[in-house]
Amino acid sequence: MSMYGFEAMSFNIKDGFLEAIVRGYKAGLLSAIDYNNLCQCETLDDIKLQLSGTDYGNFLANEPSPLHTATIVEKCTQSLVSEFSYMRTQASEPLATFLDYVTYGHMIDNIVLIVSGTLHERDVQELLDKCHPLGMFDSIATLAVASNMRELYRLVLVDTPLAPYFAECVTSEDLDDMNIEIMRNTLYKAYLEDFYNFCKKLGGATATIMCDLLAYEADRRAINITINSIGTELTRDDRRKLFSHFGLLYPYGHEELAVCEDFDQVRAAMEKYPPYQSIFSKLQFGESQILDKAFYEAEVKACVLGYEQQFHYAVFFAYVRLKEQEIRNIMWISECVAQNQKARIHDGIVFIF
Amino acid sequence: MSGGGARLVVVPTVTVLAVIKARLIGATKGHQLLKKKSDALTMQFRQILKRIVETKEMMGETMKQAAFALTEAKYAAGDNIKHTVFENVSSATIKVRSKQDNVAGVKLPKFQHYTEAGETKNALTGLARGGQQIQLCKSAYVKAVELLVELASLQTSFLTLDEAIKTTNRRVNALENVVKPKLENTISYIKGELDELEREEFFRLKKVQANKKKVADRELKEKLDAAGRVADKLAARAEEVVSMLTANGKDEDVIF
Amino acid sequence: MAMSQEGKLVAMIADEDTITGFLLAGVGNVDLRRKTNYLVVDSKTTTKQIEDTFKDFTSRDDIAVVLISQYIANMIRYVVDNYRNTIPAILEIPSKDHPYDPNQDSILSRVKHMFSSDPASASRG
Repeated sequence: MSMYGFEAMSFNIKDGFLEAIVRGYKAGLLSAIDYNNLCQCETLDDIKLQLSGTDYGNFLANEPSPLHTATIVEKCTQSLVSEFSYMRTQASEPLATFLDYVTYGHMIDNIVLIVSGTLHERDVQELLDKCHPLGMFDSIATLAVASNMRELYRLVLVDTPLAPYFAECVTSEDLDDMNIEIMRNTLYKAYLEDFYNFCKKLGGATATIMCDLLAYEADRRAINITINSIGTELTRDDRRKLFSHFGLLYPYGHEELAVCEDFDQVRAAMEKYPPYQSIFSKLQFGESQILDKAFYEAEVKACVLGYEQQFHYAVFFAYVRLKEQEIRNIMWISECVAQNQKARIHDGIVFIF
Repeated sequence: MSGGGARLVVVPTVTVLAVIKARLIGATKGHQLLKKKSDALTMQFRQILKRIVETKEMMGETMKQAAFALTEAKYAAGDNIKHTVFENVSSATIKVRSKQDNVAGVKLPKFQHYTEAGETKNALTGLARGGQQIQLCKSAYVKAVELLVELASLQTSFLTLDEAIKTTNRRVNALENVVKPKLENTISYIKGELDELEREEFFRLKKVQANKKKVADRELKEKLDAAGRVADKLAARAEEVVSMLTANGKDEDVIF
Repeated sequence: MAMSQEGKLVAMIADEDTITGFLLAGVGNVDLRRKTNYLVVDSKTTTKQIEDTFKDFTSRDDIAVVLISQYIANMIRYVVDNYRNTIPAILEIPSKDHPYDPNQDSILSRVKHMFSSDPASASRG
């Protein structure tokens, strides 16, 4: 651990305050007792009351009854956004850039939404309302001036932080008739690789932990893309092109995934990779639904582990992921309560501690 | 006769009576047939009602499952997935064809769902996250649409049948309560009139007969009178003869 | 068994989640004039908008069935109850926050009405 020595000397000068803040935020995540209480709720108003006793506070106080799940989720997301924005405004380089990288995933979703919306001539304001607040950037509103993909790229996308991802992966001739999901995942592949390289350059504990977290992310995407593209128009080559060029599965695992034709072949291919073998071993045959939750659980575990060490940026990335999982949990609990499906309530909660 | 209710305005003759009687027979037959139709429709109606109630109950469960499948999809793929789904809307791939069934002469509209050929745009939605759940959610809602279209069919049949039964019953009631009584009244009216005529004829005949009798009596009396007079004359003559005989001899009795 | 030549649409007036599900199933349609066959009802939607859309959907000849969330139908109950045509068919559906209540259904309440009076009433007309 001696290689971390120098970081420890200088880290707190610039980033110590925000590390303290983010650890405070993390300590404010819902506890086992909170989840236990939430699971006892009979109505969404009970949930509101229960949440008002946590760090969320009275964030739902002004919401009229009847309360909807969507409102709860929206308000929880706002709480994440305000925490994140606070940290982003306080951050100095290179943490500021690191935090920007954390938001690019949402930015890709927003751009894809606006691109497809623009091509379908939707109302711009309506589209902007649908964008994820973490993925906003200054020129996003001007996206709507273009009417075809090439114009969009030439006039607008070149000025966004995502421009290199377009440039690297998409020749502009393809853009017009490209499937929107392939575009999204092509961008995401380039983003993950870029983020990975950025973290590697940062070095130290940030590089070690972040590269592991991003490798997991890349591998999970590769596995999911494989499973979800089975039986679709996506060819093996197209499938392989969407895999990021790093991670535990790169390169040999990718070759195996590219040729998989059913779920059990994916499972067989993953036998050789212990972290994923253990995830797949949790599933009974034909239980692909539980895979998502198993992946979430592994991610949460890895993120929580990041807090064991000090003086690195992965805690910021991990916090966003953990909070997003918490919001997913709250969404799940609220939906189970609202839809009178309380028997299923434990199927979706991933505990974070 | 006039207290018997409404009747047609007709000339009460035997010919008209025959016509009205034929119409009554027609109305009675029509009434029976319509009654049968109404019964057939009502039976069908009741079957449909039963199925509507069953299907509506099933709908509650199917929709509940579909809603939860969407929750699972959102959990796996993220809440933003709905925006992608809304953006992917172009032309409907599930559509409804309508055809008609015929029940006792009533045309019942029926809906039938079908899937338009071609890949749906959502095949790759959730590619990197939650794609499987999205497909499961999709099938759950396809199932819901199938059920709802069937229910719409039943409901439309229900409304059409309801209307048809009401119309048929109105006709049945009209025949039963208006047309048939009217015809019956007319018949009894004509019959009444004809009876009246008959009685008048009879009376007149009687009168004529009485007259004839009177004349006959008078003639008879005259004849009798005449005969009486002859008899008187003869009697007078006889008396003369007797007196003459008595004058001639006392023993003339012995001769008689 | 006459078939109509052109397939017709299923239209929807419901909350966002319900419509998302049906769009996923492939029911959604946008025509050349960007007219959709669905209306998403949220807290910002006015009763007037719902009523206008309902009247629009029920008068379009390319629509065979109109699905409407029961709680939304309740907002424009007088319009729904006064709708007397058989095509397009109106169907009240449950939404996740509002379980289906057969007592509020305008068709089912007519059914109930018929059965609750004497059994012969259905044939009395």
